[in-house]
Amino acid sequence: MDGISHIVIEVGDLARAKEFYRLLGFESADAAGMPECGRSALFLTASGQAVIFSESPQPRSLPETGVHQAYRISLSDRNAVARKLAACAVTVHTYEEDRPSEKADNFYFYDPDGNRIQLVASPASSEGSGKILGIDHAAVECHDLEWAEDFYVKQLGLEMDHRVGWRTDDYVRAKLWGEGKEHMAPGTRRWDQRYTVMEQKRRLPRPNTHFFVRLGEEILGIYLATQHRQEPPEDQVVGTPRIGFRAGCQTMERVAQALAASRTPMKGPVEHPNSASIAASLYIRDPGGNFLELCVPR
Amino acid sequence: MAELEAISHSAICVHDLREAEDFYCNVLGARQGTRVNFKTDDAVRGRSVHGSVILEDYLLALMVTRDFMPMPPAEQLRGAHGFRHAFRVRRARFDEITNELRRREIAFEGPVEHPEKSPFGASIYFKDPSGNFLEILWRRDEDVNYQKPYVTGVG
Repeated sequence: MDGISHIVIEVGDLARAKEFYRLLGFESADAAGMPECGRSALFLTASGQAVIFSESPQPRSLPETGVHQAYRISLSDRNAVARKLAACAVTVHTYEEDRPSEKADNFYFYDPDGNRIQLVASPASSEGSGKILGIDHAAVECHDLEWAEDFYVKQLGLEMDHRVGWRTDDYVRAKLWGEGKEHMAPGTRRWDQRYTVMEQKRRLPRPNTHFFVRLGEEILGIYLATQHRQEPPEDQVVGTPRIGFRAGCQTMERVAQALAASRTPMKGPVEHPNSASIAASLYIRDPGGNFLELCVPR
Repeated sequence: MAELEAISHSAICVHDLREAEDFYCNVLGARQGTRVNFKTDDAVRGRSVHGSVILEDYLLALMVTRDFMPMPPAEQLRGAHGFRHAFRVRRARFDEITNELRRREIAFEGPVEHPEKSPFGASIYFKDPSGNFLEILWRRDEDVNYQKPYVTGVG
């Protein structure tokens, strides 16, 4: 797998989402659709990676968690987007980050449905084009990080990029967050209620364990869910929101075999008709119930 | 008198859980036990980050400290920083183990020969990456049989 091919996010109102994302520099490509997205619209970035908005009465955006989508943009375009967002009264947040490459520079806001968007200034392009350059990274949450690591690293074969929450350094920084000295991105820290009685403290700040895996130029973050959440039915392997990984036919076969050996449910490989923007897909879900898709590009 | 029955485990403080697990499992040959705070249930219940490693019949819980601990001087290899754990090996394997530590460039002091009348034969002294003092020794009474307990991990 050499990168993120597409992201499917859920929105409450397709027209409103289209308008908002056009503002950021996404361009609609209505000719090509993405299979298994329900009533949806496909937008393209300059890199050819797609973002698909799937209409849902209750969009699963999880705004208070580590879940987010990050897109690459030139610095001058990001400044222009900042002005447009200010005009629409959308608040931009800058946080401290644990991952070294995002530490110094970040830019977050929410779309009208609560999907958290990050715009990453691309060092490769300072010239403005008015377009979103590509997908930089995405993040999901999982209720078992050991299982998730096994799944993403051992079964899917992705490379571990960075881990947070295993070290005293992380605790020391969590304390700074607790004292209000560091403004951390959602999902990276949490308040622990348990020690209320034991230590006569109201709450205890802790790092929320998470890790990042690498797919070529792109990154996927997996955060520990701090609350129990209803997962999709156990036998459902295709759904939204979803993250699509770009893969060759051989990689898809290898992953399908590995998952079959561990009796992980999947659907496919499925060949798509010519009207679809991708040639074939293998639909799976991770141990946290997040929908994933391996797809062969056209 | 409380009349305790046995030692169950020791909890030791570490600065980096992965580094500690790597040291105890891949250098000293422990088995990986359970880890805590990598599941949502642990986050909801509010638990510290810790793990466990099982060295033959002994469980060490590895607790990530919330603050940096004072460290013993780097050159000090023998001592008790709080306390020291000593692990027994058979005399026949003692040289093999000291050579393995040398090969991995883990500094140790010794082997220190103990007096003839002591049940201990010889010891080496060293530290884990978080500055916890450790000792490996062989015993003159190594042929005495003992019942190996069943150790699983921390819940």
